[in-house]
Amino acid sequence: MTKAITIPMDLWEEDEEAVLTAWLVDNNSEVSTGQLLAEVMVEKISYEIHSTYDGTISITCQEDDVVNKGSIIAEVS
Amino acid sequence: MSATKKLTIARAMAESLAQEMRADPNVFVMGEDIAQLGGVFGNTRGLLKEFGEERVRDTPISETAFIGAGVGAAMDGMRPVVELMFVDFFGVCFDAIYNSMAKNIYFSGGHSTVPMVIMASTGGGYSDAGQHSQCLYGTFAHLPGMKVVAPSNAYDAKGLMTAAIRDNSPVIYLFHKGLQGMGWLGTEPAAISQVPEENYELEIGKAKTVVEGQDITIVSIGIGVHHALKAAQELEKDNINVEVIDLRSLVPLDRDHIISSVKKTGRLLVVDEDYHSFGVSGEIIASVTEHDHHMLKTPPCRITFPDIPIPFSRPMEEWALPSTENIINTCSKMMESK
Repeated sequence: MTKAITIPMDLWEEDEEAVLTAWLVDNNSEVSTGQLLAEVMVEKISYEIHSTYDGTISITCQEDDVVNKGSIIAEVS
Repeated sequence: MSATKKLTIARAMAESLAQEMRADPNVFVMGEDIAQLGGVFGNTRGLLKEFGEERVRDTPISETAFIGAGVGAAMDGMRPVVELMFVDFFGVCFDAIYNSMAKNIYFSGGHSTVPMVIMASTGGGYSDAGQHSQCLYGTFAHLPGMKVVAPSNAYDAKGLMTAAIRDNSPVIYLFHKGLQGMGWLGTEPAAISQVPEENYELEIGKAKTVVEGQDITIVSIGIGVHHALKAAQELEKDNINVEVIDLRSLVPLDRDHIISSVKKTGRLLVVDEDYHSFGVSGEIIASVTEHDHHMLKTPPCRITFPDIPIPFSRPMEEWALPSTENIINTCSKMMESK
């Protein structure tokens, strides 16, 4: 069963777009709940994205891609 | 081998700082926006929370005052790491840097060391104009008494920071904004690398051959290394095999490493985002030619920033900056001339 890693809806206050600035895990690596996965930046402020599941990560959104609250950036299976 | 994790240069710098601060109570950090904000380039994130306001100090906007205070603290037994947010701001604090920090060990007959690190962001490429986009590598490397380092990836960033903090000489630690993983400057994925969790030192003054090749030696530092690596991949399709050397340190300069590579390839290209004249590129070319100019099959070349203040206009700035494309074209020409 594949589960989506999404950008939390309450990560920042307004509705600006963000940029995915860095993946801190490799594609197809094992991740665990709570692990730091990636960074996104909104208006020069950096936010962390943590894993919400355990499993093997498949990255679907690349560095420098524009993302929004709720965007799916990876899948964990 | 200890466990590793993938880090940006910004995180690698912060991790080294935190580990050195845990190990040595004399290490402290100060600068503009480094505490509450965690640094505009993210390299002091998390330090205030762990170490408190005594050891992680937000300063007023007066480089003259806080760089001078750093020199005094270092001479009094502390190990300050002081951030000059943009290297371009050096003008107002250069007396403290090159008349005090760099020279006091000499003036005191070796009795007063100044174990201080100045970390400063360098580089352009995002329309921040002439007073926020320079590299100024040569400006610092020219003046005796300071070591100068500039990492191109997170592994080197952590090891060089640890070495810089532990060094009894003053160290200028220059990090390129385009490699920090900070988004608004773009991301260079190759700068994000696996980094051991345990602390380690990378010896200051040692260059590294990142890619081996037989035809041309490309010597670079910081973001130029990444341009060179991309060029190397393209040039391989034309059967041109370049060797890419990441200097990692400018002072001391690893001349032996450069010379032994040029001995093999017979061709030298220096890629440097600092200004063209009177700087790093000229020094490297001189170091090779004065050793033995017969090693060279073609005249040495350099791709640098032209001798003009950095333009705000994005197309003008991009025209002036060293690029992968410039490197490919120059290498192709170097191989044509026999």
